[in-house]
Amino acid sequence: MEALLYNVDAGFLEGILRGYKAGLLTQGQYANLTQCETIEDFRTQLSATDYGNFLANETLPISTSTIADKATQILVDQFNYIRNNAVEPLAKFLDYITYGYMIDNVILLVTGTVHERNTQELLERCHPLGVFDTLPALCVASNVEELYHTVLVETPIAPYFRDCLSASDLDDLNIEIIRNTLYKAYLEDFTAFCQKIGGPTAEIMTRILAFEADRRSINITINSFGTELSKEQRAKLFPTIGRLFPDGNNSLARADDIEQVKLACDYIPEYRAFFDSSNNATSGRGANTGGGNSSTAHLLGDLDDDSGSAAELEDRFFLYEVHLNKQAFLQQFHYAIFYSYLKLKEQEIRSLTWIAECIAQDARDRIQDFIPTF
Amino acid sequence: MGDEYPTLFRSDQMSLVQLIVPTEVAHDTIAELGELGNVQFKDLNPDVNPFQRSFVGEIRRIDEMARRVRFFASQIEKEKDAIPIRPLYDSAPIITVGPRAAQTIDELDVKLAEHESRLTQMNESYQLLSERMKELVEARHVLRETAVFFDKAAGHQSDIRASLDDSSAPLLQHDDRENQFGSGQVEFDLEFVAGTIERSRLETFERVLWRVLRGNLYMNHTDIQEPFVDPVTGAETRKNVFIIFAHGETLLAKIRKVAESMGATLYPIDSNADKRSDALREVTGRLEDLQVVLYNTGNNRRMELVTIGESLASWLDVVQKEKVIYETLNLLNYDVRRKTLIAEGWCPTRDIPMIQVALRHATEESGTNVPPILHELRTNKTPPTFQRTNKFTEGFQTIMDSYGIASYQEVNPGLFAVITFPFLFAVMFGDIGHGFIIFTAALFMIMRERQWAKQDLGEIFGMFFYGRYIILLMGAFSMYTGLIYNDIFSKSLHLFHSGWEWPEARANETIVAQANGHTYAFGLDPAWHGADNSLLFTNSYKMKMSIVLGVIHMTFALCLQIPNHLRFKRVSDIYTNFIPQMLFLQSIFGYLVLCILYKWSVDWEKSPTGPPSLLNMLIQMFLSPGNVDPDTQLYRGQPTIQVILLLIAFICVPWLLITKPYLQYKEMKKIQGQGYIGLGGDESVHPNGDEVLEGEEEGNGRAIAEAMDEEHEHHDFGEVVIHQVIHTIEFCLGCISHTASYLRLWALSLAHAQLSEVLWSMTLEPVIGMPGIIGIVALAVVGVLWFTLTVFILCVMEGLSAFLHALRLHWVEANSKHYEAGGYQFTPLSFAKLNEKE
Repeated sequence: MEALLYNVDAGFLEGILRGYKAGLLTQGQYANLTQCETIEDFRTQLSATDYGNFLANETLPISTSTIADKATQILVDQFNYIRNNAVEPLAKFLDYITYGYMIDNVILLVTGTVHERNTQELLERCHPLGVFDTLPALCVASNVEELYHTVLVETPIAPYFRDCLSASDLDDLNIEIIRNTLYKAYLEDFTAFCQKIGGPTAEIMTRILAFEADRRSINITINSFGTELSKEQRAKLFPTIGRLFPDGNNSLARADDIEQVKLACDYIPEYRAFFDSSNNATSGRGANTGGGNSSTAHLLGDLDDDSGSAAELEDRFFLYEVHLNKQAFLQQFHYAIFYSYLKLKEQEIRSLTWIAECIAQDARDRIQDFIPTF
Repeated sequence: MGDEYPTLFRSDQMSLVQLIVPTEVAHDTIAELGELGNVQFKDLNPDVNPFQRSFVGEIRRIDEMARRVRFFASQIEKEKDAIPIRPLYDSAPIITVGPRAAQTIDELDVKLAEHESRLTQMNESYQLLSERMKELVEARHVLRETAVFFDKAAGHQSDIRASLDDSSAPLLQHDDRENQFGSGQVEFDLEFVAGTIERSRLETFERVLWRVLRGNLYMNHTDIQEPFVDPVTGAETRKNVFIIFAHGETLLAKIRKVAESMGATLYPIDSNADKRSDALREVTGRLEDLQVVLYNTGNNRRMELVTIGESLASWLDVVQKEKVIYETLNLLNYDVRRKTLIAEGWCPTRDIPMIQVALRHATEESGTNVPPILHELRTNKTPPTFQRTNKFTEGFQTIMDSYGIASYQEVNPGLFAVITFPFLFAVMFGDIGHGFIIFTAALFMIMRERQWAKQDLGEIFGMFFYGRYIILLMGAFSMYTGLIYNDIFSKSLHLFHSGWEWPEARANETIVAQANGHTYAFGLDPAWHGADNSLLFTNSYKMKMSIVLGVIHMTFALCLQIPNHLRFKRVSDIYTNFIPQMLFLQSIFGYLVLCILYKWSVDWEKSPTGPPSLLNMLIQMFLSPGNVDPDTQLYRGQPTIQVILLLIAFICVPWLLITKPYLQYKEMKKIQGQGYIGLGGDESVHPNGDEVLEGEEEGNGRAIAEAMDEEHEHHDFGEVVIHQVIHTIEFCLGCISHTASYLRLWALSLAHAQLSEVLWSMTLEPVIGMPGIIGIVALAVVGVLWFTLTVFILCVMEGLSAFLHALRLHWVEANSKHYEAGGYQFTPLSFAKLNEKE
């Protein structure tokens, strides 16, 4: 059925998107990029790709954050073009994608406000896809209820907030709880929405979102070791979707150390691989957890305990995510490619930033540690 | 052969040349060759990354300079009053060759950097001042608007008090008014916050405040009429003044925080009216001062931009040229030991002396005595195709190039298209009037070409302008065919004495014209115009004419194979390909053409047999060979001749199919019989083995790019067979379908004639006889309508359609008979082309 009617509304946008996807950097281009000696080489090399002259009008020297910003801007422009041309239900689907960024922005702003950072500075760091009108007003709120009633009540993520209203004070732990509760609600809602669309969209998105949910569950568990978060609270934060639900989640809720996490995930072959060698590599990688890893962890937006194994795990998660997203392109007549493209492009920007960072800091030995997309 | 006078018949003879350039003159040499514009450089280091090449540093520097120039250009563009940019031909040239070249570039670089820093500084201070000015203006607005508000509030005190008793007033409103009332009583002692905010955010701001303060506020806002212009981006923003009353320090702090985070600007306003007016006075005073400063700064900035504008064009030119020069230098091979650069490239053989002169000139200019050395290399690679065109032939050549670039030294159909293209067009477009219109239009464009060539005419008109000479010839030929069709705006001309006379007409009777012994000297007798059977006559005439023209055109195209076969030393192809093809075509369709001509020449009134239908004759020739109905026999002995022709055509098919592969097979056997074994790609090196040695002695491998991209076509016997089978089938079927395809000449010419007739009878005809003033007015109005429709529908639309059909006849029907089109275009390094792209 979707093959019959899909192209009526989304055919054009799918064409555009597949065109965008063809512009993702290839292995060869990554190989060329990693050979660059300086950021200027990097720029020359990028100008031969689909990025074109996006850095041509920047004054030297170019900072890595400029590169990341400009690349993100390209992504945002592409997304907005598609969003503006979309009709229901694709428009709603695309909106759902932005909710995740809204949650990140809300949390970023609230955390910043709690730590008394400059609001303007925080606003600049917000992801442009998740910006909404009333976002700046968040800094007024001093407790959860105020947060909800003053600002969030009119945003699309308001319904996700219902479960958080019990928490009263805004401290770091609570903010993390809020974030994870929001995400849990968001993922569940998004999955439900995709199921409603049905067809291959539901199939693929469920697969991707299930992994996303499981990843969050595992991360929450690992990160909660040694914190004041009780096991009951922890269990409440796990999304009720995903392949670990419910058995795996139950064992995760009871887990006390990484070994038990590993056991909990053992019955899913793909997940088992994540832990296979991560413990062996812990000693080797733990030593060089530099700025790069924390920045990756930061990008993920998770409360990372900065240990080597977690960083290693994070990379494996990303690899698997890229794999899932690449699979989305193998099918036609579904919306999941829009989500996948966004995620792949984000990964590409992360990789670019990583390479640029390595070049700038002259850390050649680690330059290969990026995650290629296509 | 290089001395041959250049023609369009074949592409220019090309040579692969090697230039050995000492490093110190390399830049000047390339610059000189770029000005000359007839060397196509080859990339001699294709496996080197772009950023690992020798001149990346220079390119980067040029890029940086280009960025600065772009920055200036964008700044000038943004300026509201246009700043004149002196055109390139007016500015003093910056000389970037010669001994002082490096210094000039350094100076230019420094100059650009200086200008940039000065401009950025000015921009910054201008921006700072504008920012401050904006703040003051906003403050003034806030002061004024709040003053209005306070005054109004003071005047309304009594009303407010009265409204307190009104129990039907909504609660909130009540609250607000109470606030206001209270404030009125204590001389506005109530705390408030005032400031400005962007209009688009006002609504959100209000909503957030309402929720934050739970309605415990009184907010008032007014629009600021004039927009604020951002000095850097030039974007306009519109703002509103707001004033918010609330009670209590906490609430006020919250309001301030929300306002700040929403991007509003707050201004301290005193509730005391005197203080407010003092503040207003002060702000106005400061504003005036600032305006003077701002004006001066703006003026300075403008002066700077004007200075930049004077030389911007030449800077841009220099930067572009330099970039191209260094990019070309990157293609060259750098010999570190000998401090020389080795270039390889294609150039037209007859231009080598010119290049030599240019090289010498470059040496003299740069003031060194080591000249670059040029020598020709022998190669077995296919050179690029270079057709020397002028402004007249350029358009026609482009038509053929868009089908495919001719193989090197192949017969170029572009030459013949100069006449055949407009002619076939005119056969479809034949009308003296319409032809004259497009002829004059083209003539006008040609008269204007000097002015218009420099301007950007837009895509659509630019295309017409590019093809102005094609249009000119199309118009001229249309007038000619129009004369033959005797058609001018669907009417006919009466130039000579008609061959027919109409007897006196009686009412409602068909009359028959009588021949009077004259023959109309040229073209169609005007007596046909308006005759009942005129359509019947012209149809038959035009249909036959298109077949005749088509067969002639195809025969001619087929004949063009011969010069190709001779030039490429494929004599055997003449009797394996050309002769059978020719016989096949002529024995069927050539015969048909002869029949058509013969049938025209016979006076069937006096003939003992009836006129034959030639179409049926051709079909019968295939279906029942040897049988011709004696009643409609064209000539005596027709059955025998037709059988012979048919046999010839049938023999041609296996001839075409088998001989060529057989000859190749024999050739192969002969070579194998002599004990040779094919060595594949290796054999290409042997013929010039001595040069290799010579090159090695000199210490540089000659023809560096040689081994890498040479595609040695290995002729497989199977491939030849398959190719020939396809070729045979294509040709035999093609002959039939292509001949039929030429019938489009008839169809379009008919459609054109009918359309113009319909247009005439629908518009002008009814009006033309009208008497009196109404007649004149109607004639004027309808005349204009008729002319517009003639131009747009008949000339432009019909013209385009006829153009497309003429294009197809050339691309498909004619080119398939001989054109290989396997070449690649010669793209020399040329500064002139650089400017064209702009």
